[in-house]
Amino acid sequence: MNTTAALLMNRGIKKLMKQPAAPLMGFAMSLFFLLVYNAGIGGIGSMTEFGTGGYLSFVFPITIISLSMGSSAGAGQTLNADMQSGYFRNLYLSPAPRWMLVMAPIIADTLSSMLFTILLIIIGAIAGVSFQFGFLSVLGILLLSTLWSVTLCGLSAGIMLRTGQHQSAAIITNAVFPLLFLSTTFLPRELITAEWLLTISWGNPVTYVLEANRHLLAGTSPAWYFFAALIICTVTSAVSVIFALNSAHKIKM
Amino acid sequence: MAEIIIQNLHKQYRNGAYALNGINLKIERGQFFTLLGPNGAGKSTLIKILTTLLQPDQGSFTVAGLHPQSQLTAIRKTIGVALQENAFDPTEKPEASLVFQGRLYGLGKKESLHRAHELMELFGLLPEKNKKNDALSGGNKRKLHCAMALVHQPKVLFLDEPTVGLDPVARDNFWNIITQLNQEKNITVFITTQYLDEADQFASNMALIAEGKIQFAGSVNDFKNFVNPDKDSSLNDSYISYINKNFPQQKNTND
Repeated sequence: MNTTAALLMNRGIKKLMKQPAAPLMGFAMSLFFLLVYNAGIGGIGSMTEFGTGGYLSFVFPITIISLSMGSSAGAGQTLNADMQSGYFRNLYLSPAPRWMLVMAPIIADTLSSMLFTILLIIIGAIAGVSFQFGFLSVLGILLLSTLWSVTLCGLSAGIMLRTGQHQSAAIITNAVFPLLFLSTTFLPRELITAEWLLTISWGNPVTYVLEANRHLLAGTSPAWYFFAALIICTVTSAVSVIFALNSAHKIKM
Repeated sequence: MAEIIIQNLHKQYRNGAYALNGINLKIERGQFFTLLGPNGAGKSTLIKILTTLLQPDQGSFTVAGLHPQSQLTAIRKTIGVALQENAFDPTEKPEASLVFQGRLYGLGKKESLHRAHELMELFGLLPEKNKKNDALSGGNKRKLHCAMALVHQPKVLFLDEPTVGLDPVARDNFWNIITQLNQEKNITVFITTQYLDEADQFASNMALIAEGKIQFAGSVNDFKNFVNPDKDSSLNDSYISYINKNFPQQKNTND
């Protein structure tokens, strides 16, 4: 890897370690969801629609998605801190390519999100979440959550660079949060009675990520969801990264 | 040999007004050059363009013979820049900031560390090495900011109001360091300062910019003789006389 890229990424990771509030909050929120949902409505997991994995495996994907949401704040925060202190201008003046200045915090944030996702998967496995394809399921979940993280981190960084507002990360979290509930979050499609919610859920990318994870976990959703989610997340992450990189040229110096 | 060549440089604000309106300037290698001008004259815009932060609308320039269109990275490696606002990571310590800066400019670990210590000693920052940057005094923050511009041993140094916030002793010390670098290492120094006594004492050449145009370019002594040919006046007095006479609508500051 290029020395400058490694240097900047290393710095991004160190910054996150020094200010771990955002990823830790995301992790805590995910564990909280897992605990509360499973404790509150886990009893319905014995219904046939939830398959053999029970409600824990069914609700587990939502904790993965919310984890990415919580930790996506970091890239925007790192950039924001650098812009507020004037240090970003110093970086901007250096020979480091400008795309690298933007990508480094995004990659650092994504790595942090991956780390916490692995931790969450381990906790899930201990708690009894089933992984239909074993290690391959874990890889699939990691792949989708990484792409989802890149999507959110890129958007967060891009908005931060364009607006210079440190609330950008919160904007992304708040904008994406409703998507979690406009989907097949708590119940399988067959048990949702509101037609409007079912209709909206088809247009909601979160639905495909959720169902793809459910395919990889208890196998309650068909395999095509995984491929659909893979395509959606690849496209959204690519668009998001392009948006962030393009935003690097919009900064007022 | 000219180190900085500026040809017909234009930069327009969004409202249509010109920040720079056809700037032509040559600065020789090893020159200690100061750019003077009243508020809003275009000084900062010109520095931002020369340091590659902004792109001109029209015209061209070279730094150390390098063209920004095709040799942007080479220009950035060649110049050292300390703009008006301090620019360092407040959560780091001076040594780490200087080492990281060195690494960013392609120095090895050992070399960066060596340069960091050299500069901390030069700027009197060694006693502060265990403090976080944010906890440094205003003067020391300024010193660190300027030291960071020197880590990679630039050929051309751009300093925008470098001594703002420094006490008189620190200012004197700072100018001694810069003068020494200028004389011993033949570094070209391009400064803006509101302390005209400093410019008078250290700069050999100058340009005066007002309303986006270069009004005078030459030696500091030539400017003083040009404004007040009959008496031996300071740069400060000459500058004020010139601005009052030619740009009475401008404030007599050099911010």
